[in-house]
Amino acid sequence: MRSPAAPLLTRAALALYPPAWRARYGDEVRALLEDSGGRPAAVASVAWRALPAWLWPRHLHDRPARMRASLATALMSWSMLAGLGLVFAQLTQLQGLIAPDYPQVRWAYAFFDGSLALSALVAGLGGLPLWLLMLRRTRREQRTRDTVYLFLPVIAPVAYLIGLIVTVRLVGGANGVSLGWFGAVTLAGFAAAATAAAGPGLALRRLQPRGPALRVAATAAGLSAAVMAVAAVAIVVAVVSLCLWARQFSGYHNFTAPGIYVALVAVAATVTAVSAARGTRAALAQP
Amino acid sequence: MTDRLDRWADPPLLVLASLADEPKHGYAITQDVAETMGVRLSAGTLYAVIARLEARGLIEPLESEDRRRPYRITMAGAEALAQQSERMSKVASVARERLSTRLGWAGA
Repeated sequence: MRSPAAPLLTRAALALYPPAWRARYGDEVRALLEDSGGRPAAVASVAWRALPAWLWPRHLHDRPARMRASLATALMSWSMLAGLGLVFAQLTQLQGLIAPDYPQVRWAYAFFDGSLALSALVAGLGGLPLWLLMLRRTRREQRTRDTVYLFLPVIAPVAYLIGLIVTVRLVGGANGVSLGWFGAVTLAGFAAAATAAAGPGLALRRLQPRGPALRVAATAAGLSAAVMAVAAVAIVVAVVSLCLWARQFSGYHNFTAPGIYVALVAVAATVTAVSAARGTRAALAQP
Repeated sequence: MTDRLDRWADPPLLVLASLADEPKHGYAITQDVAETMGVRLSAGTLYAVIARLEARGLIEPLESEDRRRPYRITMAGAEALAQQSERMSKVASVARERLSTRLGWAGA
């Protein structure tokens, strides 16, 4: 007997899958569940298989689709990692936190700065031809929404910076802003980073570009992710070193908060590396 | 015990065997596998298998007017199915022979 909640449950189960998987098989699975009565157990079997679809994406045998999906995911996780890196910079080197007898902290700062800048440069240069290609198409076909999506990496950070300056002017004191405001500003920064990354990701999904520009962007994403991994290692080295040898600084008395932070960095770096590697592999694979 | 042995059934092989005679869509595959091979494939398992087989070039989708897209076995899929069937046939043959020696079982 068909459950009245079946369409809702089916939609919820399919929402667990990667967007590219849904785009390819979503309608077919929906039809199969309708034909077989939409029993909760059948819907649960679909939900249960979502995790392997993320971990071992066999569905993207279409190479351009593989590259587009990898680019969108890598861009999002790279942005989160960059945001975590900026929080790291704000709470460590910009506060003058060093452990004089342990030069690896200073080296870690230097490695982090250089890696972040190089990674952003590689990603920007590698992605520029693809961005221009998509922009030309949106202008030619007068796709206003996609044009906005493409400009979100510029609009969102600029809007955030303006908001940040205004906020600091309004609520900041001689020692900066309070902890609460710092948290709010940080969360807003992550929201801005996510918005900036989501724009090109949505444009990629809607415009479905292919060709050399896509391969260049996917390859550059791999290089950028590899360099960003160095930045992530530098973050971990610096934070662990400060916890071990500079416990006099506020926030580094124990491993709880730094441990959570390091775990977030590790997750973001892993997602970035895995996604970018999949895209690069598709870009370099023989047709 | 029979239910437990059912778990040994290899879903990709079942799907390939189902598509060996003619193209079928998802629901038709599950029905065919249940009726002819006695194994119930869940929707999640079926589409995980379809994605895997399609990625390996063993089956291919056909054009469809509605959402029920049929799949067809490819030449590579037919060869893989033939090889695996041959292996399974040998295993079955050995099992029958040894069981008949040991238990006097003549098979179904």
